[in-house]
Amino acid sequence: MSVSPGSGAPAAGRRGRGAVAPSAGGSAPAAGRPAGGARSALPVPWYRSWRAFSGLVLAAAVYIYGWHVTQIHLSELWRGARLIRPFVVALATPDVVTRTAVVQQAVAPYEYGGAAPPAAAPTGAPALRLSRTSGGSGDRVTVQGEGFGANRGGTLWWENQIGQRQPLTEFRTDALGRFGATIMTPDVQGTRNEIVAEVVTGYGPLRLSQTFLVVLDRMVETVFLALMGTTMGVVFAVPLSFLGARNLTSHLPAGGAVYAVTRALFNLTRSIEALVLAIIFTVWVGLGPFAGVLALGVHSIASLGKLYSEAIESIDTGPIEAIMATGASALQVIRYAVVPQIVPQFIAFTIYRWDINVRFSTVIGFVGGGGIGFVLQQYINLLQWPQAATALWMIALVVAALDYASAVVRERVV
Amino acid sequence: MRGSEPLLRIEHLTKIYDDGTRALTDVSFEVARGEFLVIIGLSGSGKSTLLRCINRLVEATSGRVVLDGRDVTAASRDELREIRRGIGMIFQQFNLVRRASVLTNVLAGRLGYVAPAWALANYFPAPVVAQAMRNLERVGISGKAFGRASALSGGQQQRVGIARALMQEPRVILADEPVASLDPALSHSILKYLEELNRNDGITVLCCLHFLSLARRYGTRILALKDGRIVFEGHPGDIDEARFHEIYGEQAEEVEIT
Repeated sequence: MSVSPGSGAPAAGRRGRGAVAPSAGGSAPAAGRPAGGARSALPVPWYRSWRAFSGLVLAAAVYIYGWHVTQIHLSELWRGARLIRPFVVALATPDVVTRTAVVQQAVAPYEYGGAAPPAAAPTGAPALRLSRTSGGSGDRVTVQGEGFGANRGGTLWWENQIGQRQPLTEFRTDALGRFGATIMTPDVQGTRNEIVAEVVTGYGPLRLSQTFLVVLDRMVETVFLALMGTTMGVVFAVPLSFLGARNLTSHLPAGGAVYAVTRALFNLTRSIEALVLAIIFTVWVGLGPFAGVLALGVHSIASLGKLYSEAIESIDTGPIEAIMATGASALQVIRYAVVPQIVPQFIAFTIYRWDINVRFSTVIGFVGGGGIGFVLQQYINLLQWPQAATALWMIALVVAALDYASAVVRERVV
Repeated sequence: MRGSEPLLRIEHLTKIYDDGTRALTDVSFEVARGEFLVIIGLSGSGKSTLLRCINRLVEATSGRVVLDGRDVTAASRDELREIRRGIGMIFQQFNLVRRASVLTNVLAGRLGYVAPAWALANYFPAPVVAQAMRNLERVGISGKAFGRASALSGGQQQRVGIARALMQEPRVILADEPVASLDPALSHSILKYLEELNRNDGITVLCCLHFLSLARRYGTRILALKDGRIVFEGHPGDIDEARFHEIYGEQAEEVEIT
């Protein structure tokens, strides 16, 4: 509570300190409002002290400069709103499910520069009749269709020799399921073309969309990426952590050096963000999840190693003493006195790390390290907002679920 | 072995810690077979350091410890392990592995004997397990063998500590303030076990105690330390008012534990 005044008010400062000392015992409120004679001994209120004033001025300067440096323009939030609106809308309508359209189709061949094969005889099924069945590009062709569903919209397509389609026109069938349209034959390569009429007559049952399946597939990859990265971290961090624990290395010859080197390695590696490591590893092993596993793994080794080491350093030395006194070997001492004490903490730290890694593996794809980030970035770049929304929802739900699960497990273990 | 040879001989033991603290200064004494030697003194007088120098949990700066004719201070690592096997130790804070089962804690007392590879896999031969159960029975808590050590009360944990020491089949037990962390009312229940081991099993006991009344009741001989030096050595009855103040200081007043 009490702020010792700075050098700006030396006289008040001395009085202030004198009053603070007895109140250090915990009776600050009582000492703060004494009547009469004690008034002159009141500590200077914090907002009137020189130190608080200069602190405020400094803080103001720092934040004003920071505002400029980081180019904060709040007006952009309004001006850019229209750009982001489709995405916000898409969040409410992610691309998760789809239904297959039931399509009636009729095909008629059209040859460029030769005779067309004879059209099939009408059978009551959807069929097309063309005013001419061969010619070249730029011909006017009247298309008449029959046998379609009544009063439905449809599309006429031009399909070239290698199956590429382009739309010609839209049409609507009459009450008898017929339609007529006039088209201009397009300029295409190849001679064998087809005119295709498609009428959507209904929709099949709901099913998961292609986007969802792709995103799900990448999410599975993401979760396993985190799992493999974490595992790699654990496998290497456990043995290294013993070398990074001061209380254990002090028994070794040259233990101080081992400790210092191990800790320095942990700290150096930890200071390189996993994203940077991922970029480096994509150069080494190529794009894909393996680079992500290596990046997360290396980062986890350092992070877990430090946490593990600290867990080892915080153990109760009593059991170590007791087991040593029985004539046990160094390995037995570790097995019976150290390991039982650190296992719960190790498990808790590992789950915590796995948690971080799952979250991190969602962005590691942005730099080519595999996982869901890779497709998310594509969707965003192509402005495919519903797809991007699907990926985002997937990330949010899976990460939250794993978060919850790990919290439950951690509670059980510790 | 010569019959006149004492079981334990301490010669000119001095311990100065790395930070310069002088814990023991030129301490010499002998302990005969079957004694119950109680070491008294204020906190910080060097009692714990003295006990730990005997099994080299603390390395003495100078001086010698001779146990049963063997120089402990000069022993190699392997010899030291073998010597430690024969010295049971009981601690003020019990020093059990709290998350491990009571039985595992007791079995750990046998680590100096069993094959190392098996022990690392937490496997102990059936006779050793049977021995552990017998020792737990002896201290009256065989019913808790499979529970966690942390679930036991302080008095029960110290009894596990005794059972663990017994697994070593020791000739000597070093007890470092074995009742200081317990409710004073439980002091006798623990010390009586030590007394019984001393009388019936012929185990020599070196025990640090705070309370003079307990020292008088259990000790066959008393050694008093003050500032790392021996200030009294003799029979419990010889500590009169003057001696008491010499050991504990002028301000001290004797507290009885019954």
